[in-house]
Amino acid sequence: MDRFAELVIASVLLAGLYATMAYGLGLIYGVLRIVNLNHGGMIMAGAYAGWYLHSEYGIDPYLSLLPVAAVSFLLGIAMYRGLVHRLPRGAAGGVQSLLLLFGVWLVMRNVAYLLFTGNDQTLRTSYSTRAAVLAGALVSVNRVAVFAVALATLIILHILLTRTYLGKAIRAVAQNPDSCTLVGIRVERIYALTFGLGTALAAIAGLLGATLFPFNPSFGAGELLKSFVVVVLGGLGSVAGTAIAALILAAVEVFAILFIPAYLTAAVGFVLLVLVLVLRPGGLFGQRVLG
Amino acid sequence: MRNSRTALFLCVVLAAACKKQTASQEQPSGGTAPAGQTVAAPGADTIRVGATLPLTGAEARTGGFYKEGYELAFEEATKNGGVDVGGKKMAVQLTLLDDTSTQATAASLADRLINSDKVNFLLGTYATNLVEAQSVVAEQNQIPYVNGGGAATAIYKRGYKWVFGLLAPVELLAESIMKWIDTQQKAGKLPKPATIALLWENTSHGKDFRKGVTEFADKSKNYKVTVDESFELNGKDFSALLGKVKAANTDLFLADAHLPDYITMQRQYVTAGMCHKIQSYGARGSEKQAAESLTPKNVQYILSAVWWSNQLSSKSPEAKRFVDLFKAKYGGRAPEWYQALGYETVRALFAAITQAGSLDRDAVRQKLAALKIPSLLPGGELTFPAEFGQQSHAPFVVQQNLPDGTSPIVAPPDAATGTGIAPNPGCAK
Repeated sequence: MDRFAELVIASVLLAGLYATMAYGLGLIYGVLRIVNLNHGGMIMAGAYAGWYLHSEYGIDPYLSLLPVAAVSFLLGIAMYRGLVHRLPRGAAGGVQSLLLLFGVWLVMRNVAYLLFTGNDQTLRTSYSTRAAVLAGALVSVNRVAVFAVALATLIILHILLTRTYLGKAIRAVAQNPDSCTLVGIRVERIYALTFGLGTALAAIAGLLGATLFPFNPSFGAGELLKSFVVVVLGGLGSVAGTAIAALILAAVEVFAILFIPAYLTAAVGFVLLVLVLVLRPGGLFGQRVLG
Repeated sequence: MRNSRTALFLCVVLAAACKKQTASQEQPSGGTAPAGQTVAAPGADTIRVGATLPLTGAEARTGGFYKEGYELAFEEATKNGGVDVGGKKMAVQLTLLDDTSTQATAASLADRLINSDKVNFLLGTYATNLVEAQSVVAEQNQIPYVNGGGAATAIYKRGYKWVFGLLAPVELLAESIMKWIDTQQKAGKLPKPATIALLWENTSHGKDFRKGVTEFADKSKNYKVTVDESFELNGKDFSALLGKVKAANTDLFLADAHLPDYITMQRQYVTAGMCHKIQSYGARGSEKQAAESLTPKNVQYILSAVWWSNQLSSKSPEAKRFVDLFKAKYGGRAPEWYQALGYETVRALFAAITQAGSLDRDAVRQKLAALKIPSLLPGGELTFPAEFGQQSHAPFVVQQNLPDGTSPIVAPPDAATGTGIAPNPGCAK
């Protein structure tokens, strides 16, 4: 198997994980203009939810995706109605929303410490170490599954945002909430649904991450940082841009090992972030309005 | 009005977030009292010992293990009527605080223990980075600081006089593994020269491991390191790195990783269909959790080296006494090396106090520097050699996971409880 082809496959599979982690953050920012610092908290919660359902009830993590997403969606709506909704909109509420959602993350993390202690947990299934042959290379079945879920999520999100009334309403609100009020779109409802959707996507990302590596209540912090890089690279508010940015980031990190020491590969993404912010502040694909 | 309500709400949320940390920060305990209570108000006849441990945060699990070791040692001392100081038994009291696994908290709490709580001596926390930060405070305040949780040589190379470490350096860990590999090579079981893929986490722990392996390889001339790469902690994807190792087709795979990285890397190693004649993750490998996460089949023949194993109880009376005491207190549960090091750290301090015959800090420091006591550690003796910056150089025990699910000690010979296997027979399949 050609080394180059192996690295390409590794990049694509890693991109799936990065994209899943970033969708929720990008969606919430794109519509509500809020940087959801609790994104990391929900990633951690999703990981624990999948682990708990598997260890207590033997439910396969991929079968848990829907129930975990549904519960997280409702939790997200509740969080919006109970907390975020009370903050002023726009720039005035920027710092407050950052603080509020950071506070929620801290609470969630400490609750997780109380419930599950600081022990590392792992979600092991019968196929955790199973490999499949892909283009002549052995690849982890789990990583392929994560990529498939990421791709499915991208397609579903795209259809939702471009082909449904709800999606059109979300995009309209992202463009101009005041005008939406004039044409009868219930802006607050759209905000709540979007926040719920973003929260559910974060939980899905956490659950998928838990199938790949160990986690503890601190899980989510590193993932939040990666999500920031992906969302900013892709252009804030662009779902398709997010997916492509995830692929670029993953490819840069994976191929970097050919040129620099392995421990520096993680920093490459952040260098890329700085470069993009300086040269193209709107992201590689510009500032779009979702879809 | 709305803004003030929001501000009030934010305060409540942040206060709730911080509540657990604050609540768990102070846990004075002494004698047989449960954690969180004090036996009696300390008086002139009480030796006050301060310590912090990571009871919450990333290192909470290990911090909890050290706490068990500390508490067992204090309980034992109390049962014996206290610690002998100049012919008089003095009560002991431990003030244990939670440093939340963060360097800044560990350093500031050490300062508080010394200058506000006026403790007589300090016990160390766990994890190299925390010990590194805390030891500076101890040195500045000239108070004996005995720790069983910092292994990096960087801590002990600063010429500090008040800092004593029970964990032997990671370089020695790497050397212990290499010595066992060398015996296998000399027995003709491994190729000569053997090629090594060396992966190490980008921390002082990892750097020491690398140094141990490369120095041994350079000295022996029978080994060649063909892949030498470091990686960041808590990695999410090691496929590119492992691809490099696979392409190099080495005989030995030697890595130094913390438990989460070991599990993630080994999972990818197995799915990539890799196999080496010898495989090791440094101190990691024999953990029950790893076998559960990866299945016992996928951790077979992995070599590991640790500071202590409860299997030593069949070889050392000191280790047996500790294991029996621990099992009696903790419902028959067998201790791991963390609890053993915690217990031995306290015992070393108490032994030095007794030898000094007073609570004078400098007198106790001098006795610690000259300490030579029978120990539960491998080698059976505890010292803090000045030539190594007062860091113990007790030998490591090398273990290997076998197909029957056991991980016997395979080296050093005087501590061995089983025979190791090389090369990995699984690679031939």
